[in-house]
Amino acid sequence: MRDFKSVMTENGKGKFYLFTELCKGCGLCIEKCPKHTIGWSERVGIYGAPTVEPGHGEEDCIACKTCQTVCPDCAIMIEKIK
Amino acid sequence: MAVEFNNVAPAMPACWRKETKTHKFCPGCGHGIVLKALGEAIDELGIQDKVIFSVDIGCCLLAIDFFNCDTVQTHHGRTNAVCAGVKRATPDKIVIAYMGDGGGYAIGSQHLVNCAARNEKITSILVNNTNYGMTGGQMAPTTLPGQKTETSPYGRSVEQQGEPTHGPEMVAAMAGQGAYVARGTVAKPKQLKNYLKKALQAQLNGSGFSFVEALSTCPTNWATNAQKTWAFLENEMQAEYPVGEFKVPEEGGQTK
Ligand SMILES: Cc1ncc(C[n+]2csc(CCOP(=O)(O)OP(=O)(O)O)c2C)c(N)n1
Ligand code: SF4
Ligand code: SF4
Ligand code: SF4
Ligand SMILES: [Mg+2]
Repeated sequence: MRDFKSVMTENGKGKFYLFTELCKGCGLCIEKCPKHTIGWSERVGIYGAPTVEPGHGEEDCIACKTCQTVCPDCAIMIEKIK
Repeated sequence: MAVEFNNVAPAMPACWRKETKTHKFCPGCGHGIVLKALGEAIDELGIQDKVIFSVDIGCCLLAIDFFNCDTVQTHHGRTNAVCAGVKRATPDKIVIAYMGDGGGYAIGSQHLVNCAARNEKITSILVNNTNYGMTGGQMAPTTLPGQKTETSPYGRSVEQQGEPTHGPEMVAAMAGQGAYVARGTVAKPKQLKNYLKKALQAQLNGSGFSFVEALSTCPTNWATNAQKTWAFLENEMQAEYPVGEFKVPEEGGQTK
């Protein structure tokens, strides 16, 4: 299977993998995170728009995977920290 | 702290064709969420090698190289009719028609109506984004009352253009026993996946026509940011178009 470059950020209960070659910077995930922890990153994605990362809110990631589920481009993968 | 990787696989459905990703849909386009739900449904049913996928003209045609499945491209509005023929010629295949609201409810409405009336044993998926996305956001049968588009600059007038088309309600009223009809939304991807799985299961059982409308997003033509995109879908569209199942095959009913 083809591999894609990713950036992993640990936050709260989750390892947040962001695939820079897939993220188009639409922001849909930011709006859906129940903990409001996702915000814009300084790294740009496939279309030169900012990608996203956790750690931008007052609360931390609870590894609910909502962001992964709603991303139209499969640009987020959450791994639960056990 | 951020760590970079080159060898981590994204959480993509197995039947998605990785070489063609990222896909061609605009940022925030709901087509990607519908096709993720469909990919997961195909994976979970283990039917990838049996699927023949068919795309209409419209933004759906950007999915022509989306899956590792045989794929057909049809003329605008003709996807249901082509799929009915493909299914009759190769009844062991799982045939999936994929179209927009313009393709399914305007130019191709006769094919949807007659596939429903004949209870064709195909699965038809219609993406409702309340406009003609590919051609620049013109008014569609699904445009909401008062909604501004390229061709309804003062808002859709019910007096002049009528009420929006409610497709699943129409199909449910027409299709015979054994049909499956539902409306999902990309705001609830898991529910949408379950509807798509039930639709494909109806085809696997040969019980009747299966039709799923997916309420979807078109941020490019709506000219909405992420917050307003979700709000338009979840407040205005879902108020006009109720989400749910409209017809399910009867227990122990007409199955092959
Ligand atoms: C016979 C025919 N008439 C008109 C067109 C022009 N055309 C291309 S795409 C499209 C509308 C697509 O809208 P919809 O089906 O809602 O799909 P969307 O792009 O919104 O997903 C039209 C009218 C065409 N290609 N062929
Ligand atoms: S991760 Fe996905 S949902 Fe979030 S901004 Fe990127 S493409 Fe959009
Ligand atoms: S997994 Fe849940 S809590 Fe964590 S970033 Fe995603 S949406 Fe937010
Ligand atoms: S125009 Fe609309 S429907 Fe077409 S790809 Fe862009 S967002 Fe999606
Ligand atoms: Mg459309």
